[in-house]
Amino acid sequence: MFLQQLFNGLTTGSAYALIALGYTMIYGILGLINFAQGEIYMCGAFVAVLLLATGKVNFFIAFAAGMGAAALLGLILERVAFRPLRGAHPLVPLISAIGASIFLQSLALLVFGPSDRPFPIQFTFSTVTLGGVAISTLQGAIFAAALGLMALLVLFVRFTRYGKAIVACALDRDTARLMGINVDRMVALTFIIGSALSGAAGIMMAIYYNATYPRMGLLPGLKAFSAAILGGVGNIPGAILGGLVLGVAESLGAAYIASGYKDAVAFVILILVLLLRPQGILKGRGH
Amino acid sequence: MEGGSEERGSRGTGVSPVIPPPTPSSRPPMLTLKSVQAGYGPLTVLKGISLHVRPGEVVTLIGGNGAGKSTTLRTICGLLPVRRGVLEFDGQELNRLSPERIVSLGLVLVPEGRRVFSSLSVTANLELGSYHRTDKAQVRRDLEDLRERFPLLRERAAQPAGTLSGGEQQMLAICRALMAKPRLLMLDEPSMGLAPRIVRQVYGILSDLKARGTTLLLIEQNARAALKLADRGYVMETGRIILDGAAAELRDDPEVQRAYLGKGYREVWE
Amino acid sequence: MEAYILHLSIMAGIYIILTVSLNLIIGYAGQVSLGHAAFFGLGAYVSALTSLNWGLPFPAALVLAMLFAGACGLGLGLPTLRLKEDYLAIVTLGFGVIVDLIMVNLTITGGPDGLVGIPAPVIFGLSFRPPVRYLALVLLTVGFTLLVVHRLVHSYHGRALRAIRDHEVTAQVMGVNTPAYKVMIFTLAAALAGAAGSLYAHYITFINPESFGLHTSILVLSMVILGGMGSLAGSVVGAMTLAVLPELLRRAQAYQDLIYGALLIVLLIWRPQGLLGGGKLSLKFLRKKE
Repeated sequence: MFLQQLFNGLTTGSAYALIALGYTMIYGILGLINFAQGEIYMCGAFVAVLLLATGKVNFFIAFAAGMGAAALLGLILERVAFRPLRGAHPLVPLISAIGASIFLQSLALLVFGPSDRPFPIQFTFSTVTLGGVAISTLQGAIFAAALGLMALLVLFVRFTRYGKAIVACALDRDTARLMGINVDRMVALTFIIGSALSGAAGIMMAIYYNATYPRMGLLPGLKAFSAAILGGVGNIPGAILGGLVLGVAESLGAAYIASGYKDAVAFVILILVLLLRPQGILKGRGH
Repeated sequence: MEGGSEERGSRGTGVSPVIPPPTPSSRPPMLTLKSVQAGYGPLTVLKGISLHVRPGEVVTLIGGNGAGKSTTLRTICGLLPVRRGVLEFDGQELNRLSPERIVSLGLVLVPEGRRVFSSLSVTANLELGSYHRTDKAQVRRDLEDLRERFPLLRERAAQPAGTLSGGEQQMLAICRALMAKPRLLMLDEPSMGLAPRIVRQVYGILSDLKARGTTLLLIEQNARAALKLADRGYVMETGRIILDGAAAELRDDPEVQRAYLGKGYREVWE
Repeated sequence: MEAYILHLSIMAGIYIILTVSLNLIIGYAGQVSLGHAAFFGLGAYVSALTSLNWGLPFPAALVLAMLFAGACGLGLGLPTLRLKEDYLAIVTLGFGVIVDLIMVNLTITGGPDGLVGIPAPVIFGLSFRPPVRYLALVLLTVGFTLLVVHRLVHSYHGRALRAIRDHEVTAQVMGVNTPAYKVMIFTLAAALAGAAGSLYAHYITFINPESFGLHTSILVLSMVILGGMGSLAGSVVGAMTLAVLPELLRRAQAYQDLIYGALLIVLLIWRPQGLLGGGKLSLKFLRKKE
């Protein structure tokens, strides 16, 4: 039972971690919360589901297209809701992002309707029993894919020219410009990467819960933000750890405390973290 | 970039800021500021600055706190817009260029307070210095070359730059700028916040660069050290240049001595 | 028709209280609460439950609603208000989710069905069931709210608050205890939202968690932005406009949230001072730095 819940938690936690990475990276470079991250997650899921529903598209292509669409949406958001407001009081872009989030959610509601869409293709996954714990290979596959994406991100940031440039912009924007780094381009790249990861998380959860709907991004988005704070905002390993910890805490909380309050666990943790250790488990870069 | 050092003795007597003296060894200025104005918000900090730097020269800009020295460098780098006047490099106007473009022309700044990327490794800092360059093979050779000259860069290669000492960070910041392959290297207060012994080390690096013929534009509050190294100097006060001339002349100028060198100040930069 | 106009006026009055109180947080403390509807809801539920179960008279229920909502605001503000702007937004949003879950899950709150048969206020034997009298009651509360906020804004404390908003570090250096002011403002705003909730509950007479969700928080936020951050008159106009507009544009109801979302972005880019902002209050903080 405990191990079972642990594994369930790691599966949803890996989605939180992917979204949290987007929050943390964007916060790191702009000092802003992209409130519409949850809608980007939703967009990724919808694009993949709609493409697969045509029956003409291969799963992997649909997955990539979902990530691509999410990335594009992130890029558009940056242009429309953030860039015109750069330099204003931090409250202003925050509210504008809230506006974007509401706008996208209601747009999806108008276009796709409020009901759940099942995932168009059925995966034949078996259940593996390990030491009395039934783990579906679906969970395993989601977890592995999420870890793979995270590893790619970490490698990108650590070892590529653009990755290091993004970190440089986050650390010291003016000095980064003095090295010839185009900060605007790095901000755009950060939005693309963070959004693509959120899109991937959206597709994974669309498969896992077998449901895609306009409001699907609301709670995961908020929880992922809590995860980012838990791990220390601006800290990439922290976001991953925070996401996984939160997923597990939520799963265990639902199982052992009260299932009706499952969605509250993340926010109780958030408030506790802010109260006790605002810099997060791993120290955040902060701004 | 070689051969600058032997010319240097014959130059530096010119007082006129714009027109180069007609000595045969002088080359046309690479960087020229003509009545440049710049500032922040409603504030005009630079009230019409004219200066120039010739290839191979070491020029220093000295002055007290708030004279506008750093603002001058920030304007040259494109971090602040030029409001009036002309900023030229190799005859090309820089007024409207972004910092990114200006770096790729070879105008590189070592910012005030070193500003190394603290959580990135020493090597990553150096690599970021060469960010705008496309000659990958040469970049690798330059990195090796710097590591030969400064073994610390190799010893601490993987260490986060923030864990280095102040002097080491200054050295790293200079090396990072050198990785950008500067044609004109600008330094903003390289001695700031460092112990005298470390300042001597930093100036050792700078005079080594001078000997190699690197063109330097150096901003200092530590006028004594700067004038010792430089060929020519400008003295700034409240956004204007009030005095200019050969470094040796400025050193002997009673006004400069009183205001910036301090009478009876012991020579420590031997 | 007359009854309909009365109804709209009462609702507009309740929204004015909500908007003014949220504007206090946004315009005067430079923070944003996305859980304002949660305080509104807490006030509604506390007032309804104390009337229904304990038979408390309306004034006592109203005061309890304000105290309870204010206490929750205090509890939430203390840990978060010393942090960056963004944290409060998320924490209040999370708080909204928690409050919603509690309302849905508890039996005492009637779960998703909510509470019915909330009595109309009776004060000194005078029943406020007739809408005209209720409107008078609401307007009285609106007037009281505006008075309190106006006094606060134009007091020494108000100037301190604007200092916080315009430049937090400077304010701190000058010895303004910014976290304490922010907590005070946030508590007061939460209490005012609780009062609005109480008025709402006793007017509508049935409440369920749906009325106090994120949608309502966003609606109130849109009212603030439309009227102008930091503008009291703007809040009144913003609240009235958005309270009446949807009624006039019934056919566009499906597009309501879409329009609010777009409105927020467009206003912030083209007219950050709102429709009425930019008057006597300093709005320096909205302008871009060079």
